[in-house]
Amino acid sequence: MATRILKRSGVSDEMCERLKRHQIESCKDLLSLTPIEVMHAAGLSYQKTLGLLQSVSKAIAPPITTALEMWKQQSNSCFSTSLPALDKLLRGGLPCGTITEVTGPSGCGKTQMCMMLSVLATMPKSEGGLDSSVIYIDTESAFSAERLVEIAKSRFPNYFNCKERVMQMAGRVLLFRELTCHDVLQRLERLEEDIISTSAGLIILDSVASVVRKEFDTTLPGILMQRSNLLSHEATILKYLAHQFNIPVVLTNQITTHVGGQGSASSAEVDSGFVTAALGNTWSHCVNTRLIVQYVTTQQRQILIAKSPVAPFAVLNYTIQKQGICIDGNDSQETLYRGTDPGLQPIRVRTEFSYNLNRSAD
Amino acid sequence: MQRAVSSLALSPSVKVKLASAGFQFTADLRHLKPLQLSKEAGLSQQEALEVLQAARSEGAGHREGALTALELLQQEEEMRSIITFSSQLDAALGGGLPVGKTTEICGAPGVGKTQLCLQLAVDVQVPPCFGGVGGQVIYIDTEGSFLVQRVVDLATAVIRHCSLLVEDNDQRDAMTSFTVETILSNIFLVRCHDYVELLAELHLLQYFLLDHPKACLLVVDSVAFPFRHFDDLLQRTRLLHSVAQQLITMATRHSIAVALTNQMTTRLRGGQSQLVPALGESWGHTPTIRLLLHWAGPRRLAAIFKSPGHMDTTIQYQITSDGFRDADESEQPQSKRPRTHNDQSAGSQREAGC
Repeated sequence: MATRILKRSGVSDEMCERLKRHQIESCKDLLSLTPIEVMHAAGLSYQKTLGLLQSVSKAIAPPITTALEMWKQQSNSCFSTSLPALDKLLRGGLPCGTITEVTGPSGCGKTQMCMMLSVLATMPKSEGGLDSSVIYIDTESAFSAERLVEIAKSRFPNYFNCKERVMQMAGRVLLFRELTCHDVLQRLERLEEDIISTSAGLIILDSVASVVRKEFDTTLPGILMQRSNLLSHEATILKYLAHQFNIPVVLTNQITTHVGGQGSASSAEVDSGFVTAALGNTWSHCVNTRLIVQYVTTQQRQILIAKSPVAPFAVLNYTIQKQGICIDGNDSQETLYRGTDPGLQPIRVRTEFSYNLNRSAD
Repeated sequence: MQRAVSSLALSPSVKVKLASAGFQFTADLRHLKPLQLSKEAGLSQQEALEVLQAARSEGAGHREGALTALELLQQEEEMRSIITFSSQLDAALGGGLPVGKTTEICGAPGVGKTQLCLQLAVDVQVPPCFGGVGGQVIYIDTEGSFLVQRVVDLATAVIRHCSLLVEDNDQRDAMTSFTVETILSNIFLVRCHDYVELLAELHLLQYFLLDHPKACLLVVDSVAFPFRHFDDLLQRTRLLHSVAQQLITMATRHSIAVALTNQMTTRLRGGQSQLVPALGESWGHTPTIRLLLHWAGPRRLAAIFKSPGHMDTTIQYQITSDGFRDADESEQPQSKRPRTHNDQSAGSQREAGC
């Protein structure tokens, strides 16, 4: 939109020529200038300059709707996760048009969650799916097609009872392996075409953190800034696509050790340092919903809703079974917890448990 | 007072012609008729008319404009504030979010910036007989965080609250038209994906405001996101200044409250990292009031840290299913204890694993 040239925005040829001599060719160039600068470049009076700016603005400004229209349009604005307890808390599932992040320690079920959602998205609407294909960007080479089929077969044995349906499902999950930041960004920039050509209904990026953390050494000065620029850029693209196609976007993130000493937090535990979501504060602003998966024991795990525009802070216990993620107990067992800053929410990891288990075995 | 012709808002070519014909000051243009000027300076008749109108409006501007503080006081008393539904925050802000001023809401992710904006978008519509403003709202969403379901929740809660307060017929009448549907239809929503769209929208907004005189609130959530990835920082500062200028002009000229949200960023200072509002120091001059929402453990605090009329205060609030509210009184003194208790139980769980 922004790079739209002036000629296609209802500006006369003569004026385009004139502005071109001042290196003003697109709407972006023109709107980045103050009215006085435009006045000089275009050789117009102030009033006429305002008129020019208005007509150019009109050409590219997004339309104004009312919330009521939006409310009426949104019939299926959520993507059900097939976990009733989680859906209930999130008011129907992952909200379409926004970014949902799943973060947690390694091996806790982030990729399992992504694969489970991929299966769901390919299923017909009557079965609670989206009846569409999935774009799965894998940066960790963690995707396993075998596991995908296993989840599908054991989670929905009634639907995936014949081979064709399983094949059809697997055929609709488009996997892109992008192993560098550059590749990921390029893929995201071309994603618009892929979404249209495959009529994708779900985008998964697993994980956003791995390549970024590998390539940026944050101990060097200035690198942190470059990293947040890149992340903001990726977030902008994903938000744009999510909104334009009204589809959910799921990302996974890693964890990091937060070293204490930050001014605002004054509790005792901060000093000791704890594990929390990676990629920092700027990134935490970019995600609309943040789910944290963490260990309770080696088998028992929890999903925390750490940031959501609709849901309260809540905890759900789950285990990983053959069919993917299974919430324990019935619908009403979810409990609320006293949440804190989603960027600083402590996450429980496994290392201590396995270490402890080894010791107790001794 | 002498004013140079070259300083008028005219196109450069016209200015050159005027200068070469010997018109230096606006006084030289006085008593001239358009036809005479067009012949004398070699301008077209239209151009000559523009010149004279520009010169005349300049002169007029100097005589009017001034306003005594008394008049301003009267004007400000007429403007009402938009309540936030947190009585403590209202008290700290002197009755709520002031109309005609710009207020910035900064805060960490997930602390409730968007929630406060949504709350304000609903609150601004509370009918005047309930002490509200009864206005419309323009909501510019740059982050995609506007969720209609949540607005419906908040609207339902506000309607429930008002219906409990009904005492006389006026209020009963107002309640019949104060429904979730009308609340939603009075929220004008724009989704801007990048800063160019935001700039374009701001250009058009002044015309939109002329057509919608009932609009009392403009929300930009957030102003930071479209400006976060910018390589050319000088250009960014320039653009932010022009955004700031437009927002302030709209706030005063159309008497609307402007609420902006800003993100927090980490700044390294002498080896220490600290959280500061994004967009740099100079942006901090733009808003009249700056509100900082932050976490203190599980508690949410709101601090006023820039305001010409209010003391720096910090209050505690919570986000409930009904929206932005005061923290429970009963919970406040204890809020520290259950937490430490939880920490201990978490710790003991870990030990139990041994």
